[in-house]
Parts: sequence; structure tokens; C-alpha cells
Amino acid sequence: MAELKKAERPLSPHLQIYRPMLTMMMSIFHRATGVALYAGVVLMVWWLTAAATSDEYFNIVQGVFGHWFGRLVLFGFTWALVHHAVGGLRHLLWDTGRGFDLPLVEVMAKATVGLSVVITILLWVIGYGVMS
Amino acid sequence: MAEFSLPKNSKVQQGKQWPKPAGKKLRDFKIYRWNPDDGKNPQVDTYTLDMDKCGPMVLDALIKIKNEQDPTLTFRRSCREGICGSCAMNIDGTNTLACLKSCEDVKGDVRIYPLPHMPVVKDLVPDLTRFYAQHRSIEPWLKTTTPEPQTEWKQSPEDRAKLDGLYECILCACCSTSCPSYWWNGDRYLGPAVLLQAYRWMIDSRDEATGERLDNVEDPFRLYRCHTIMNCSKACPKGLSPAKAIAEIKKMMVERRV
Amino acid sequence: MSMRTPLGMVRGLGSARDGTHHWWMQRVTAISNIPLIIFLIAFVISHLGASRAEVVASVANPFVAILLALTMISVLWHMRLGLQVVIEDYVHGHGTRLAALLANSFFTAALGVAALYAILKMSFGL
Repeated sequence: MAELKKAERPLSPHLQIYRPMLTMMMSIFHRATGVALYAGVVLMVWWLTAAATSDEYFNIVQGVFGHWFGRLVLFGFTWALVHHAVGGLRHLLWDTGRGFDLPLVEVMAKATVGLSVVITILLWVIGYGVMS
Repeated sequence: MAEFSLPKNSKVQQGKQWPKPAGKKLRDFKIYRWNPDDGKNPQVDTYTLDMDKCGPMVLDALIKIKNEQDPTLTFRRSCREGICGSCAMNIDGTNTLACLKSCEDVKGDVRIYPLPHMPVVKDLVPDLTRFYAQHRSIEPWLKTTTPEPQTEWKQSPEDRAKLDGLYECILCACCSTSCPSYWWNGDRYLGPAVLLQAYRWMIDSRDEATGERLDNVEDPFRLYRCHTIMNCSKACPKGLSPAKAIAEIKKMMVERRV
Repeated sequence: MSMRTPLGMVRGLGSARDGTHHWWMQRVTAISNIPLIIFLIAFVISHLGASRAEVVASVANPFVAILLALTMISVLWHMRLGLQVVIEDYVHGHGTRLAALLANSFFTAALGVAALYAILKMSFGL
């Protein structure tokens, strides 16, 4: 038995086999929107500093945001912001010790998705209304 | 970087298809296999059973496969009634007890894997050493300084009611191994099962060491890796809510400094 | 292969007895973010397509300037705490982890100072 080698134990599969549930997806989405908003805040600070600098620089920045691609990015950021905020309210409720009943957890998850879409669209409708 | 993909020696290969029996109500079982003695990677073997000749639960199917088709199939089991916690495994994508999971509840092929992100001893048997060490680390026993009474430590029915939903935990590890935070940081994060037990002792009115228990888990990793992902409460085969217990611990943490 | 006992490994360096402040401040800034973000959205919508002069005129108003400053502070604090947790969760290599944590703190601080500078400059009509 000269070559009795102790095989190193493998790691059992995790992400590869775990059922993707709505709650799990919502959680990772909350994190993803948070990270995306990090970049969004950089854009916000960019806009503010441009406004404090000169007419020329400000117009360039406004131009970037007004371009169709800039608007698409802004739409994405609006949705990320609203989704993260509504999801955040869900988390705050859990932090008070309430809302852990499993059926209610599912309802809140679905409501978060629904509300975030509705509010985002509403904000952009208002925005376009104000522009015209 | 937290490893989202499996290490090389853990990648699952295609396994063998075992001979199909005769019968009308046939069902395929795709089961994770790993033998420490053959030097190969894990694989998924497919067994077929006639469900007319098998008990209703997944554990019944596993035992039938072991008895009639492949005696080398290895898994933990004992009470067969959902109280010992031995047969915890990942069935159809979620962690549960094989003895409580009905085959009828699974659509299509029944996929059976060991509890996720754990070192595998053999086939469906995970190494739970660290899990048990974590339980031991929260000192799951009554700690008192007051001299012991002549008869028993008294507790009101209201205080006893606070232990409901906590004492019933069978330490099956379904919840902890369903938690992504435990997957990425299980060496330092205690996990939902152990935190639920920590809370069980914190709110036991007979215990006098609540402050020390809180100190012991007040750590960015031991407690605060919980981000309320909620996989734990969804996985618990006994219907307990570790997520709620953890939320209560966090509330106590704030309460003691306000 | 470590010969340390499982209990020894789990106990590790002991409890940091810390972490509640971080958790609490994340919630405090989350709550302060609610009204402030509503204000921010209203501010942005009402200044869509505006000229720089219009923006500066709005920020010259002390209430607007103060609310904008509070928004930036609250959001940046919340952001810094949030990303710190993400780094702690996923980045495990010692050097990379330290670098990432420092970068997060420095970057958010820099953004904060830049934002406050811009707001004050516009508000004081400079």
C-alpha cells in the first residue's frame, strides 16, 4: 500500500445547483443596484462640479446627459435608484423584526419589483413633461 | 476573490447510467457521487426506479437504490421522521431532509446533491466539523452565577414561550449551507443555525450571561455577514425562521447601546 | 494543513466586539436618504435642460444649498459603508482587500469634498 494517497475532499456545488429563488435574486439585485449607484453618484458629483466650473464645461456635461445614450444610462440609474430605495424599505422593515412570515416575504419581493418599475416610469414621464 | 466557480478537483463530471428496471411508473434520480479512493472528480450517476414499488419519500428512494442497485451509494440517515437531521441534502435545488421530501413534490428528474459549499467526505456525506465547532463556540448551555436553587430554575410560561421556534432546531445544517454569505465567508461567519441557537440562549430567562453572549457574536463577521438574504428561513425543514432570530439579535445589539 | 483544533479555528482571534456602529449608521443614512433623495430627484427634474445660470441661481438659495450638501453627505456615507461590506464579502486576498478598502474610503471622501466645494462655490456666487 505504498501509494495510499489521501484524496483532497472536493467542495460540493453551490451556485451551480441551488434553485434561484425570487428572494435570493432580489437580494443580489439590491447589491447590484447599490454598486451601480456608486457609479451614478460619481456622475452626480461630475454634474455638480461642472455647474460650479464654467458655462462651457457645464454645457458639455449637459450634452452628454442629453444624448440618447446618456439618457439610456440615466434611465438605468433611475431604475437602479428606485429599486434600491424600495428594496431598502423592505430591509428596514425586516430590521424592526417584522415581515418574516414567508408568504409575506414573497408578496413584498414582488411588490418591490412592481413598484420600482411603476415609479421609474412615472418619474421619467414627469421629467419629459417638465422638459416640454 | 471569493470563488464563485468550483475548484478543479470539485468540478462535476457526467457519471454512469444504471440499468433501468421493468415497471410503468419510472423516475430518474440524478445523484452526486464521489469516491475518495478512485482519484477521480465527482460525477452525477443516474438511477431509475419504479415508483409503484417505492416508498413516497426521497429517503425511501435512496435506501431502495442502495439495497437493490448500488450498495456503494453513501448517505447519512437515522430516524426517517424528520427529527434527527441526518439526511439533510440538496434535493431539486433546495436544502431539505430526504425523509420529509416527497418525490411527488419534485417535477421531472430528482436531482440530489450534498449540502452546498461543504467539503465532501463521500457521495452525499458533507464534513460538518466546522459547523459543529461553530455551535460549540457559542456555548449552548445555561450559564449562571447565582447559586443553583434547591429544585429548578423557575421560568414563567410567557418566558418559556419565547423559546418556541428556537428550541426545535435539529441542527441539520440546511439553513447555514443555503446561505450565500456562509458559502463565501463560512470560516468566520457563524451562519443562521448557530446564530439561531445563540439567540435561543440569549433570550432564555434562566440564563445570566446574555451580555457575554452578545459580546461573543458582536463581530463584523460572526454576526454581521447576515444581509437578510432569506435563504435560511426558506430552507428550514422544521419551519423555523433563523432570519428573524438574527434580526432580533441585531435589535438587542442596538438596544444595549441606546 | 493546520493542526489547530476546529474550535480553535472558529474562535480565531476572538470577537471584535464591534460592527454594530457600522450597521446602525447604514440604517441611519438609509433613513436620512429617503427624504433627501426625494428632494434630489425633484431638484434634478426641475433643472432638466436648464442653463448653468439657472442652476447657480437655485443653489444660491441657502435652503437648496444646505439640502444638496446634506444629500451628498448622507448618500456618500451610505455608499462608503455599503461598498465596504461588499469588499469584505468578496475580496479575500490580504493585499487586494486592504487596497480596496482604503480606495473606497478615500474615493468617497474625495467625492464628498468635491461635491461640497461645488455646492459652496455656487452658493456663495464665486
